[in-house]
Amino acid sequence: MIEIIPAIDLMDGKCVRLSGGRFDTMKIYSDDPIDMARNFRDLGFKYLHIVDLDGARTGNPVHTGLLQKIVALGGMKVDFGGGIRSRESFKAVLDAGADRVSIGSLAVTNPHELEEWIMDFGASRVLLGVDVKNEKVAYHGWQSESNIGWQEFIGFWLGKGVDRFFCTDVDRDGAMNGPAVELYQRMMQQFPGIDLVASGGVSGPEDIRQLETAGLKGVIVGKAIYEGKLKASFLAKRIIPCLDIRDGRTVKGVNFIDIRDAGDPVELAVRYAAEGADELVFLDITATIEGRKTFPILVKRIAKVLNIPFTVGGGISTFEDAVVLLEAGADKISLNSAAVKDPEIIDRLAKSFGNQFIVLAIDAREEASWEVYVHGGRIPTGRDLFEWAKEGQERGCGEILFTSMNHDGTKGGFANEALARISNQLTIPVIASGGAGKLEHFRDAFTLGKADAALAASVFHFGEIPIPDLKRYLYNEGITVRIK
Amino acid sequence: MKIVVIKYNAGNIGSVSNALDRLGLECEVTDDPLTIRQADKVIFPGVGEASTTMRYLRESGLDKVIPDLKQPVLGICLGMQLMCKWSEEGDTPALGIFPQKVELFRGSVKVPHMGWNSISFKQDGIFKDIDSGCYVYFVHSYFVEDGVSTLATCDYGIRFSAALHRDNFYAVQFHPEKSGEVGQQILKNFIDL
Repeated sequence: MIEIIPAIDLMDGKCVRLSGGRFDTMKIYSDDPIDMARNFRDLGFKYLHIVDLDGARTGNPVHTGLLQKIVALGGMKVDFGGGIRSRESFKAVLDAGADRVSIGSLAVTNPHELEEWIMDFGASRVLLGVDVKNEKVAYHGWQSESNIGWQEFIGFWLGKGVDRFFCTDVDRDGAMNGPAVELYQRMMQQFPGIDLVASGGVSGPEDIRQLETAGLKGVIVGKAIYEGKLKASFLAKRIIPCLDIRDGRTVKGVNFIDIRDAGDPVELAVRYAAEGADELVFLDITATIEGRKTFPILVKRIAKVLNIPFTVGGGISTFEDAVVLLEAGADKISLNSAAVKDPEIIDRLAKSFGNQFIVLAIDAREEASWEVYVHGGRIPTGRDLFEWAKEGQERGCGEILFTSMNHDGTKGGFANEALARISNQLTIPVIASGGAGKLEHFRDAFTLGKADAALAASVFHFGEIPIPDLKRYLYNEGITVRIK
Repeated sequence: MKIVVIKYNAGNIGSVSNALDRLGLECEVTDDPLTIRQADKVIFPGVGEASTTMRYLRESGLDKVIPDLKQPVLGICLGMQLMCKWSEEGDTPALGIFPQKVELFRGSVKVPHMGWNSISFKQDGIFKDIDSGCYVYFVHSYFVEDGVSTLATCDYGIRFSAALHRDNFYAVQFHPEKSGEVGQQILKNFIDL
């Protein structure tokens, strides 16, 4: 999948855009680049391309302070460039937290210097710009044209170990009249395996599609995002209370004063929906086979009254069990031990009902590594968490519900590192579970853990964290949530 | 008032009749062309895969019945997508009530687009007494492009159609039956048309 990389061009501490590299075409888009970067992060972008235009003009980066603050937001890989002409400034940009330093002019005007930096810091810290004008490499903010062809240029630097290039067709940048697909295709044909990022000319989704089809790794987008031609998302992060059910009744006592029967899952479900829960999960923990027969009846009652989506799970061991619950009105079913025992069940259910019906619930514990456990966390499986999550996606589940057994019940926060790793390697949504104790924990699961939803039980049931308060808190922290 | 929910072989149609039930309304779930033609309101729900569902609609003759309906029709999710001209899912020619194409989400967004997202609209109609910018519940991997019949939009990597309208045909990409109070109001508005 092609990575969309928003561009932030900095001048006088503001986010601006230039057209065709000319300073007289400058347009200001925001006075607050950090806020802009935070927006991009919360919209799910994983990379950011920062150009220090003041640095480019003066020959020395000016905005490494801003870079540091943007990197500190967390969750994004940032490359930074503009006016990097000395080893000191190269190092300063890396020290400020950039993943790569983007280099343009210097690779043309002083290749020996750049070679030395590559020897010292590694080629993987360089993002090399290839600005093409009439098949030649342009530099100095495109004011100058070299007599070096792009073939010669890319070939030379590939030989030095540089693996990632971003290419701008100078005549197309900021003009929004389509990317230089044909040029990129020739580049990838001549240099197969090159990590090529397109830059310039993107005006909307159609262009992104073309670039993806052509096989580009990424695309830097500026104007099209700022002017709303390419919209990011306001998909809300979901808050999901989880109810344990035994013999048709909720297990944990619930602390809503105005509820008559806190043991009735139906009354509770309606109450949570009214409070602003985005989804509910019902887990059947009934021990007896006899008792399990009542669960579909309960699911039917819930489906009748609940006007938000809900997932049911616990004790689904066969394809038929799942079908019964879906037919009773569940929007999704969650599979745990049954999927580990017979992974094919995911494929079969996905094929029959669609991916969105299947939540793969994974309980895992971190010791030497993250290992998957089944049967309520009692039995280790020898499976690796990340491998299993990936396999689940490949087999067709629509979401991963990851519970960290190390964190569950501690009220010390979610397993954000592992969450982020799962989230980054998958294209399906990830639900965080285990460890919620404070408001901040939910925020961190979304920002650090990159979770799409967060599930909790006792903090909701005992009224420690009322859902409206949680939503308001997250909203104030800049996280997109549904506020009723 | 006779409300009909079109039945076809896939999906959880019960959620729509449950939602109508919460509004105090009865409906008949059927694939009988005559009953559908005689209804006051027709709901064309949808969960499933495009090509399989279209094949079923063709086999049962519903592919001719639905575009000919004169009473208000509401397509939901896959129902909306099948009311368009063509879907990328299984390279499927669809009913063609709306001229748009249906395409797969691409780029840096997670697929399926699942969860609550906000929609924007300018007109009343089925959005009467609802604020633009409200949140509704989506679950889909394919989207209808923004175009001439677009009544409401949503942004997810790109801007797409959250609702369509042409003559007596309405369609929503989200699930009003799962979209809380907002969704219930939208269903009520459709029934009140």
